[in-house]
Amino acid sequence: MHSLRPALLAVLVTLTACQTPAAPPAPPSATAAVSQPRPVATAVQAERVRLAWADAGVLTPFRVSTAGPGGATLISLVYDTLTWKDETGIIPWLATRWTIGPDATTYTFSIAPNVVWHDGRPLTAADVAFTFDTYRQTPYRWMTTEMVARAEATSPSEVTIILKRPFAAFLEDIAGVAPIIPKHVWESVTDPRTYDGPNATIGSGPFVLAEYRPTEGSYRLTANRRYFRGEVVVGEFQSLNIPTDTRLAALQQGRIDLINSADASIVDILRGDARLAIYESDPLSIVRLAVNTERAPLNRREVRQAIMYAIDRATIAEVVTKGAPVVGSAGVIPPSSPWYNPEVRHYPYDPEAARALLRGEQLTIELLADPSYREPELMAPMLQAVGITLVIKRADSATRTALLREGNFQLAEVQHIGVGGDPDFLRRWYAGEEANDFAQGSIFTNAEFDQLAREAAATVDVQQRRAIVNRIQALLAEELPTIVLYHRRFYWAYDRTVFAPVTTWGGLMNGIPFPHNKLAFLRRG
Amino acid sequence: MIRLAVRTMILLAAIVVLNFLIPRLLPGDPLDALAAGEHESGLAPLSAAARENLRQFYGLDRDLVGQFTHYLSSLARGDLGWSFAKRQPVRDLLAARLPWTLGLVGAAALSAALLGTALGLAAAWWGGRVDHALVSLASSIEAIPDFLIGIGFLLVFAVGLRWFPLSGGRTAFEAGAPAAIDTLWHLTLPYLALTLSSFAIFLLLTRHSTAETTRAPFVAVARAKGLRPRTVALRHVLPNALPPIANLLALRLGAVLSGAIVIERVYGVPGLGLLAFEAIRERDYPVLQSVFLLTGAAVVLATAAVDAILRAVRPYDAR
Repeated sequence: MHSLRPALLAVLVTLTACQTPAAPPAPPSATAAVSQPRPVATAVQAERVRLAWADAGVLTPFRVSTAGPGGATLISLVYDTLTWKDETGIIPWLATRWTIGPDATTYTFSIAPNVVWHDGRPLTAADVAFTFDTYRQTPYRWMTTEMVARAEATSPSEVTIILKRPFAAFLEDIAGVAPIIPKHVWESVTDPRTYDGPNATIGSGPFVLAEYRPTEGSYRLTANRRYFRGEVVVGEFQSLNIPTDTRLAALQQGRIDLINSADASIVDILRGDARLAIYESDPLSIVRLAVNTERAPLNRREVRQAIMYAIDRATIAEVVTKGAPVVGSAGVIPPSSPWYNPEVRHYPYDPEAARALLRGEQLTIELLADPSYREPELMAPMLQAVGITLVIKRADSATRTALLREGNFQLAEVQHIGVGGDPDFLRRWYAGEEANDFAQGSIFTNAEFDQLAREAAATVDVQQRRAIVNRIQALLAEELPTIVLYHRRFYWAYDRTVFAPVTTWGGLMNGIPFPHNKLAFLRRG
Repeated sequence: MIRLAVRTMILLAAIVVLNFLIPRLLPGDPLDALAAGEHESGLAPLSAAARENLRQFYGLDRDLVGQFTHYLSSLARGDLGWSFAKRQPVRDLLAARLPWTLGLVGAAALSAALLGTALGLAAAWWGGRVDHALVSLASSIEAIPDFLIGIGFLLVFAVGLRWFPLSGGRTAFEAGAPAAIDTLWHLTLPYLALTLSSFAIFLLLTRHSTAETTRAPFVAVARAKGLRPRTVALRHVLPNALPPIANLLALRLGAVLSGAIVIERVYGVPGLGLLAFEAIRERDYPVLQSVFLLTGAAVVLATAAVDAILRAVRPYDAR
């Protein structure tokens, strides 16, 4: 792999849409105790690594839970994808190289030789073609592959994927996310959504699913000793279902090796424990207000801008996360993303500017939020000071999503990840192509935005695409169809004797700020 | 007895209908819950087409009547459906969770009933300081929410003293103590928390019921006949004080199947209570229907059984 890499990266730079693999800037440390993400992490050899998470369902692409990123991440340890991401960008994985046809709808991948499934059968281009054909009938829930028209294996080592339309995010969002499944297992399965055979979880990834305890939601993955991308240096990876309230104590007692928290106070709590370290993820999680731009008074841009000026977002971020604030970019894409445009309009905390925009008008606006969110109470007095009375309406997540789907809201607070990867997510939000809760609240009709978003999706030239994405961010910052409060980090506490985190360029797969990239368990050349 | 059987059947039919309707009255549907995510908002770019595909797969594209008839016909075949959120047959989910709940909540309910009844009898019988102390103790404990008792035990015995594990029903993937001992070790704290949080009601009810019976004329007659106090207590007072206690026990044992949502959640015990909690959040209709059906049927059958037993034992009262 080592010898291949420079050449393959060169191919990437010239041919792919999502390159310019500049390493994201290292996030500033909240305290001296925080370890800096390294450019290239060296995997720690260990008997086992135990992650505290929740049940993520049966580990097949058709039954895994998509309620949160845990399922897709576990899937990525058992299965492989055509491309992958390391610290610097998209890298070859099952595919050793690829070419893109002149109309950017034809991608031809060369499949690595000597890749075997967990049952010892060889992985070939036929498996890849079969996978994409299967996903057209029965989608992989984590990522849509709807733009794939068909896939053809032209030889045992070459597969051509033909898209319905040019899609610049293909290499990152589809080829780098869709798990390749074995044809010999799934071709005889009538309904993959219910299939539960003993071979259902055969993949080609660095770990083999040795045991899943559905009642407890616990997984035991063992190292794949025949892995084609290098030695797996961790004997076992376990994902254990542990209530969030007891995870920290479990880590301190040595019952678990890796936990996460959105609360920076974990840094102080663990300070002085030589065995444990903290890894700050890039701030790829976002806390924002979805705005119903079709309902008065939020259909007026100056009201949305006034809200942006009226909220002291740095203070809110600091109070809630207890860490150094990363004030939200009005252009939505976070500063640590390779696609961030720093030139967008900025909105400092400026109540006077807000009052000037409102011209003395008194408004009442309803905000929909989860019962656990603390931001609404902090925002309310700030908005009251400029003449906006905030009526806070609390609802659980399913209720909130239903209200967003129906457009039955004015403002809605949402917190989510998925903004660090390819910027095509912006198009999908506002084009109504996604059905997750934050995308449901994306109500914004703007011809210029639609045009730019379509152009960006179809432009594979990196520089051209960057220019378009910059314009999209500038437009969003001006129009504010969503009000970004702050970007949020995750604090991963881990046992340094068994694990070393990996910072993935733009987040794991489609922007997941998790440190257990499969590279964290491989000896790299 | 026939009337009792008819009444029980009507109640069971009502439970089936309500179990179907109540989850569907909650705002948001299973696909909204799926899109909403859990730890973070769902990142999955669930497309409109994928959403439609799922809607069909789960039968949510049928109207309410269609869904209900499908539910009834499946139920008649013993098919409890497919969990939306867990993507497993509901029957398997229930079968795997039931032993945990029966073991933990059942044992705690019986212990609480025995302990509470014994202490209630003692309070009523001895009166005075004993009564005062026991009633004060029971009232104080009853006033503490069960999650506080659970968290208190957890903080002291699992986090602080480290005598017990922090969560779960058994040690994951580790060879160590024999499985039964390991499970008992894991369930000790939730068992104690559950017993402590539910014995007081038995104590207070027994004490009240016994004290009332003690003042009844037939007890005075029994005493006047010169019977020994123990004979009066066991032969005359206890049987007559028992019906409300037996009814409470029946309700509790019936409700055992719904698990102990709070305690199971605090300790991460994979029982039916935790399953029900997750199913509400996930709008997992088939799981909710099945858990409610199981619980409702258990309560109805347990109370009917107690009713029948009491009628057999004390036919005069039954009239």
